[in-house]
Amino acid sequence: MKILRSTLVFALTVCVGRLILHAQEVKIFDRTVQMHGFASQGFVHTNDNNWLTMETSNIGSGEFTDFGANASTAITDKLRVGAQIYDRNLGQLGKWHPELDWAYGDFKFKPWLSFRGGKIKTVLGLFNDTQDLDSVQVFALLPQGVYSTDMRDATLSHVGGDLYGTFALNKRLGKFSYTVYGGDQFQSIYGGYPYLLQIHGIYIESSSGPTYGGDLRWKLPIKGALAGASYEDNSVTNTGQLNPSVALGGPDVMVPYWEQSRSQYTKQYYAEYTRGNLKIDAEYRRFWRDFTIFNGQFVATTGTHAWYPSGAYRVNKRFEFGGYYSHFTEDWVVTAPGQFEAASESDPSRHIFDKVVAARIDLDSHWYAKIEGHFMNGNAAGDNPQYPDGFYPQVNPSGLQPNTIGLVARTGVNF
Amino acid sequence: MKNLKPILMILTVLALMPKWAFAGSVKVIANSSVSVNSISSGDLQAVFLLDSDSLGGSHVVPVLEKSGPAHEAFLKEYLGKSDESLLAFYRSLVFTGKAEMPKFLGSDAAVVAYVANTKGAVGYVSADTPTSGTKTLEVR
Repeated sequence: MKILRSTLVFALTVCVGRLILHAQEVKIFDRTVQMHGFASQGFVHTNDNNWLTMETSNIGSGEFTDFGANASTAITDKLRVGAQIYDRNLGQLGKWHPELDWAYGDFKFKPWLSFRGGKIKTVLGLFNDTQDLDSVQVFALLPQGVYSTDMRDATLSHVGGDLYGTFALNKRLGKFSYTVYGGDQFQSIYGGYPYLLQIHGIYIESSSGPTYGGDLRWKLPIKGALAGASYEDNSVTNTGQLNPSVALGGPDVMVPYWEQSRSQYTKQYYAEYTRGNLKIDAEYRRFWRDFTIFNGQFVATTGTHAWYPSGAYRVNKRFEFGGYYSHFTEDWVVTAPGQFEAASESDPSRHIFDKVVAARIDLDSHWYAKIEGHFMNGNAAGDNPQYPDGFYPQVNPSGLQPNTIGLVARTGVNF
Repeated sequence: MKNLKPILMILTVLALMPKWAFAGSVKVIANSSVSVNSISSGDLQAVFLLDSDSLGGSHVVPVLEKSGPAHEAFLKEYLGKSDESLLAFYRSLVFTGKAEMPKFLGSDAAVVAYVANTKGAVGYVSADTPTSGTKTLEVR
């Protein structure tokens, strides 16, 4: 029934999308408004563990749908405004709750100094702001160690302002682009972290807090080469309800709950090289957080190291293939009684090493299909997961196996 | 070492070939409102990759062809991107709100007509296309 609903929604979106494929501009009060949209439908099958909050290990699951639509217009040569809505359903994540993806005004003073204000996609690494845009990638799932789809909300956007620009100190040195930002983050309560907390009887109802950060990227004088670094600092407060009987052995009632970060940051370093039909990317992400949890009773620290190299080659107008190796390890400490992580990162409960091969076919310039294989060692979860990374006890009640082979198919349209 | 010389020569010829193959096959045109008469290849790239929207103090908007030899030559010569990767690049900007999709037109004649009639428009056409009503920019 769920697969049927996803398929129907996607089919409807494809039909509507293709009908208006060439109607991207409308005139409203003598002003040209551009409208664009995208939709994708995925299917995931695994040989063993259930993955990405879905029951993937039987026939597989098609609860993997998303779509977005935007409108924008130029008010003057310097000022542009626009907004986009986005909705997704990925197993227990998203759950068809539409969100305002971005909505802002963008004022270009000079190429080296511009400003945008509103709800803005956060620039962090190569793909944080474009991670939902399946149509621009060869991969059906980006390297999950760095761009975990469960944790997309944690860094995706902020409500505030960006200063950004491009400049060249010396033409022989290439060009630099920068973004600095500040504001508040409002994270979805339908993301991987709130879902993970439910195993402890915690039900998050609100997640937000101030954030600031920046990105500096260097277009090297070598044609097609780019390198950069990003930093983001968050101060998140989560509130909701707690059933103490689940994790602490207290009464079976609901009481107010809060948790708060004492320190939380993400650092990312990246490089990209494009030559002709070849594209090579590599990134490293360090995530760290220090949280007071259970209404201030305990402290939890979680750190992750993730990196990947990826390559993609377009054979011709229709066909592209690629692959990546995603390396993810975590370490954590929780001061609650009986909480211990495995001693070594080589334990499957502390890492995921994912080898991926992928192929994409462009059926026309607006419609594509992808298929990819994941060969994963580790689940970074075990019996007591601390970081949302695709594997959860809720959908694996019999426990997790150390290895998983996954097949992901995805098709999408955009206009 | 003897075998290395011819290989190096062949590699050098191959490396230079794209410039020879495409030089002069495409010309860059602009609306008469655009104040400059020449443009560096770096600035041209910045305009078409939406990094910059001004040339010599004039507001500019790029216009592209949907396909064809001039389009292929321009992409290879000045942008260093395939058609598909350029579209993906534009989509990544459009769906994050960072830019609007540039206009794509179906022929050299359509580009010339659009550039002639649109303030700030910058486009490209095959070198032998008549471009009355526009100015041709020398690419440095």
